[in-house]
Amino acid sequence: MSLYILEGLKPWVVQRVSAVYIALFLFYSLYCGLNVEVVSYIHWRGWLFQPFNSIAFGIFVVAVLFHAWIGMRDVILDYVHDIMLRLFFLALVMGVLVGSGLWVIRILLFSMVE
Amino acid sequence: MTVRFNIYRYNPEVDNEPYMQDYELEEIEPGIMLLAALLKLKEQDASLSFRRSCGEGVCGSDSMNINGVNGLACITPLSELKQPVEIRPLPGMPVIRDLIVDMEPFYQQYRAVKPYLIVNDPMPEVELRQTPAQRKKLDGLYECILCGCCTTACPSFWWNPDKFLGPAALLQASRFIEDSRDQALDERLENLEGPFKLFRCHTIMNCVQVCPKGLNPTRAIGNIKKKMVKKSL
Repeated sequence: MSLYILEGLKPWVVQRVSAVYIALFLFYSLYCGLNVEVVSYIHWRGWLFQPFNSIAFGIFVVAVLFHAWIGMRDVILDYVHDIMLRLFFLALVMGVLVGSGLWVIRILLFSMVE
Repeated sequence: MTVRFNIYRYNPEVDNEPYMQDYELEEIEPGIMLLAALLKLKEQDASLSFRRSCGEGVCGSDSMNINGVNGLACITPLSELKQPVEIRPLPGMPVIRDLIVDMEPFYQQYRAVKPYLIVNDPMPEVELRQTPAQRKKLDGLYECILCGCCTTACPSFWWNPDKFLGPAALLQASRFIEDSRDQALDERLENLEGPFKLFRCHTIMNCVQVCPKGLNPTRAIGNIKKKMVKKSL
C-alpha cells in the first residue's frame, strides 16, 4: 500500500463528497436538536438508535475520519519534506484517527447496552 | 517627478548574502513603464542585472516581484506603484544575480507535461483541422508566455517545486488535453495522477491574481480534475 493512502484523484473526490455529507448531516442533526422539547442523554440515545439516524450517523463518522485524514495528509505532504518524518506524522495522524473511530464505536456500544 | 526604488541585489561572486539597495531617479517622464525606469537605473549603476527582451509584454523575460506582487516590468506603469518601489526576483527560485533567477525548475515542470501535440495516426496530407468550436476551447490556454509569474507566486510550488507541476505547466497540460487534435488524452491524465503533480493545488488563486496576460490557471486545473473524474466513472 502506498504511503499516501488513496493517492491523487480519489482523496480529492472523497474530500469534497465527505464535506457535503458532513454539512448536510450537521444541518439535519441541528434541525432535529432544535425540534425536541428536552435535550437529554436519553433523548439523544433514542434519536440515535432510530434506524435512519444510526446509518446516517455511521456514515457521518466515516466521512469525518476520511475528511480529517485527507486534510491532515495534505498539510503533511505540503510542509514535511523529510521522508521519515513525513512517514512518522502520517502514521501518527492515522493512529489518532483510527483510535477516534474505535472510540466512537465504543461509545455507541456502551450506549446500546445501557 | 522623483521615484525612489529599493532593489534586491546579490552577486554570488562578490556578496556573502543578498541586500536591498536604494536608488532614486529624478525627472522621470510621466507614463513610463517600470522597465524603462530600470534601464535608466542601469545607466547609473551598470552592475544592476535583470532580464528583458521585447519590452511589450510578449516575451515574458522581465518578470519580477514588484511591491510584493509578481508582474512584468515592461507593462507595469511606474505611476501606479507605491514608493519606494520594492523590486525583488521571482520568489522561490534560485537567484543567479540580482533580479535574474534560474528558471530551470520552472522549465523542467513545463517539459514534464509534454507541451506538444501527440498524434498517433498517420499525419494527413493537409493540416489537422478544427471546427471553430474546437478551436474556441483553446482560448485562455494558448496565450501563456511562460513568464513564470503564476508558478512562482504559488505557495504549493514553493513547498514542492520538484514535485508539483505548478500553474503554468498545468495550464499547458490543459491546453493539450482540450485540443481536439491531440490523441494522448488518457496518457496525459494518467501522467497527472498522484498526490503531487496536480493535486497540490489548493485553489489559492495567486496565479490568477498575478498573470500578466489575464489567464486563469486555477480554472484550467479545475477542468483537468473534472476530466479525470469523468474518465474514472
